[in-house]
Amino acid sequence: MKKILREPLLHFLLLGAAIFAAYSLVSKRNSDEPGKIVVTQGQVAAIAEGFTRTWQRPPTREELEGLIRDRVQEEVYCREAMALGLDRDDTIIRRRLRQKLEFLTDDVAALAEPTDEELSAYLKARADTFRVQRQFTFSHVYLNPERRGQNLSRDIRQLLAQLQQAGEKADVAELGDSFLLEHKFQSLPASEIVKVFGEKFAAKLGELSPGQWQGPVESGYGVHLVLVSERTEGRVPALTEVRDAVRREWANARRLESNEKFYQELLKRYVVTIERPKPAEEQKKLAEAK
Amino acid sequence: MKQTFLTSLALAVAGFALPAFAQDHATTDIGTLDKETAAKAFPSKPPYSPYAGRNFPTRPFFGDTHTHTGFSFDAGAFGCRLNPRDAYRFARGEQITASGGQSVKLSRPLDFLVVSDHSDQMGFFPDLLAGKPYVLAEPKGRQWFDMMQAGKGGEAAFDIITTFSQGKFPKAISSLPGTPAYRSAWQETIKAADDANTPGTFTAFIGYEWTSNDKGNNLHRNIIFRDDGRKAGLVEPYTTQPPLGSPNPRDLWKWMAMCEEKTGAQILAIAHNGNLSNGRMFPIIESFTAKKIDKEYADNRVRWEPLYEITQIKGDGETHPFLSPNDEFANFERWDKGNLDLTEMKKNEMLEAEYVRAAFRNGLVLEAELGVNPYKFGVVGSTDAHTGLAAIEEDNFFGKTSSSEPTAERASHPFVKAEKATIMGWEQTASGYAAVWATENTREAIFDAMKRRETYATTGPRMVVRFFGGFDFEAADANNRMPAKIGYAKGVPMGGDLSAAPSGKSPTFLVAALKDPMGANLDRIQVVKGWVGKDGKTQERIYDVAVSGGRKIETDGRCKVDVGNTVDVPNATWANTIGTGEMITVWKDPQFDPSLRAFYYVRVIEIPTPRWTAYDAKYFKITLPKEVPMTTTERAYTSPIWYTPAK
Repeated sequence: MKKILREPLLHFLLLGAAIFAAYSLVSKRNSDEPGKIVVTQGQVAAIAEGFTRTWQRPPTREELEGLIRDRVQEEVYCREAMALGLDRDDTIIRRRLRQKLEFLTDDVAALAEPTDEELSAYLKARADTFRVQRQFTFSHVYLNPERRGQNLSRDIRQLLAQLQQAGEKADVAELGDSFLLEHKFQSLPASEIVKVFGEKFAAKLGELSPGQWQGPVESGYGVHLVLVSERTEGRVPALTEVRDAVRREWANARRLESNEKFYQELLKRYVVTIERPKPAEEQKKLAEAK
Repeated sequence: MKQTFLTSLALAVAGFALPAFAQDHATTDIGTLDKETAAKAFPSKPPYSPYAGRNFPTRPFFGDTHTHTGFSFDAGAFGCRLNPRDAYRFARGEQITASGGQSVKLSRPLDFLVVSDHSDQMGFFPDLLAGKPYVLAEPKGRQWFDMMQAGKGGEAAFDIITTFSQGKFPKAISSLPGTPAYRSAWQETIKAADDANTPGTFTAFIGYEWTSNDKGNNLHRNIIFRDDGRKAGLVEPYTTQPPLGSPNPRDLWKWMAMCEEKTGAQILAIAHNGNLSNGRMFPIIESFTAKKIDKEYADNRVRWEPLYEITQIKGDGETHPFLSPNDEFANFERWDKGNLDLTEMKKNEMLEAEYVRAAFRNGLVLEAELGVNPYKFGVVGSTDAHTGLAAIEEDNFFGKTSSSEPTAERASHPFVKAEKATIMGWEQTASGYAAVWATENTREAIFDAMKRRETYATTGPRMVVRFFGGFDFEAADANNRMPAKIGYAKGVPMGGDLSAAPSGKSPTFLVAALKDPMGANLDRIQVVKGWVGKDGKTQERIYDVAVSGGRKIETDGRCKVDVGNTVDVPNATWANTIGTGEMITVWKDPQFDPSLRAFYYVRVIEIPTPRWTAYDAKYFKITLPKEVPMTTTERAYTSPIWYTPAK
């Protein structure tokens, strides 16, 4: 595990090192002394580890030398660039720095392990989020309005009568028009029904009483006659069924809270002044310009 | 690849009559499967129940193989504030707040998502609050840990920063590399995917983008893992920066081979945006060596890259009017000014190595020379959104970057502005999604379907497209009550192979399309054929095989009557009074020569609908410049079925 976690530290340390080095570089420059770059044993080990993690084998001597040369070059460029202030007023660098600081709270939030009581309370407060969806086991027969034309309503009536007589035994594969998707669905959750047939159909399905052929039910494809053979109502699950999901959502909520709290704490360190031109002044300026 | 072939074969034969499979023998890692063996394994008499033993894919799963989040440095730089967890949350259908502050939700959930952040490595703060003994032994560490446990994460973070900036950070829990525990962005990405993955409902793949951008020319590839973090977590993503990484795809393939061998993971790569590669995506002459590509290149490319991303926000990659002058649908969402950063302008001679149809054609020639077709790939669409939001529906388009989330200005402002050219905001394409014919919504099933190329691309709408090829389809099969069943029984699905045509027989195809249940009607289904003639030159031809509204397909295989247009641009609406919801037909190649290599793929065209720019104009009450297109014709492209002559 240690190995896995090594490599990125280097980046962080380098960044820190570069900041301090930039200051010392500036002062060293004054005394005409060269800056010092020391690639420590630990850093060499980390470089080698990064290679090993990528290629699943240690680097050869030449490879390691190449990587170290590259790291020295990066260090030199980093120091010189920072001494010149190239890191300032750079949107990419500024946003990246902000992000890295935010990751700290993300981490912090991710690390607290909730108790079952906390999770139960969270589940109770947001029951709708974790609801087990209503599920339908149903068969359908499709009628293509374009193909049926003016006979559509007559065909619906006839087919429905036929289906009602046959009940559960109706041979759905042979009735109505051919359909590219399935004719029977087993325990399909409402959200999947929306994906396959669209919202209108899914909503209508919920209104049908199970056990008999009904319709017409419209979908984005056309018209369907439907037999809902089983409907399992939605319910709020027990924590044991959805613990992972509740934990995930709880952690996310905690993360957002922590980020906000962190920012508010940091903000307290600053007095913020925004120099906005007053609307009246603006208008006056505009008028003058004209 | 071999195993994959067996999988598709098994799929094709399982549960019903012995199929007229194109190839009689399939040699796999576990022996040779021939007709006789297969017949024994699977009863030839179909079961009484038509549903029993049905384990071929019955519905396509829709997803995006290419979403970036704030973890990608460029996405972050453009203001993306969302992370991989947010991206999965959004794709699952939850409403979230976009980086720019607007609420956003998909019209319906996606079935799968790959968060493919760039493979540059980003460090995290130490894992110093994990409650490890050495952390707890340090009073400060203990204090932070307790604050954390008490739910005071924000305060703890603040205190850590303060302590650090004052140089009072405890030495015992920081200092040398290797002591404190740091996590990389990769580990975090893996965790987010593993957490979001819900077999049966939503598949969250682990992946990353290898962003090779040699001299500004786009050679990007997305790497996708079949496995979970236990295997993916063993490696660090391959990068493009020498000496550790490389911008050359050959080195990526070496890394992929190593990764599979050493970790036991299964991975694949999907390249994209050949249109911004300036002639380097589908090379005949390799840009890195200036030599003609060889067998090794071809072997590796076809092994590691079973799919290509044909359409996305940075333009469509099917074909180009210069390459396909007789294709009236070719001029679609073109991004052909230059390479990715517009440092080099486009020349016509580059196009052939940039677009999919031309690559399919050249692949046939290369196969004749090398014995392997390097460009035998299937297709998917994806977004390449850098917003964490796979939101490319025309009426719900959240742009390429967080700075192009909906505003009154986004369409009329430059998207890329360089010295030599400018790409305007309105040129962004609200596209696309990947459709995969998998047996179930799991990492394993979707990945395996990708490997066997049983996929198609859409520019956004979730239409259902079936495409089967064989030698025995008859017109009556189009009236069969279960098209998929007869399709798998008598042929191979999209992405498959036909070879050695029986004497006197031509390839026949069962082709079907069903509109998006929440979208527009369909105009027509086309088969695009490409082949290499006896003279060694490649050709292409488009056949309209099914058209809506009773229009006529003439003897030359084309329907010359336009479907019409119901788009009301000011109101950004259309009517499904033209076109049709469903089309199915059997088509036979009228000009087949069994001695010539060929490929066939399907293109489904929707009726015209409002483009995202029309929705913008209506919502923001703005007038866009005249050159901005306000309507679009959405479409789907399938993976091809290839025909190879007998040796």
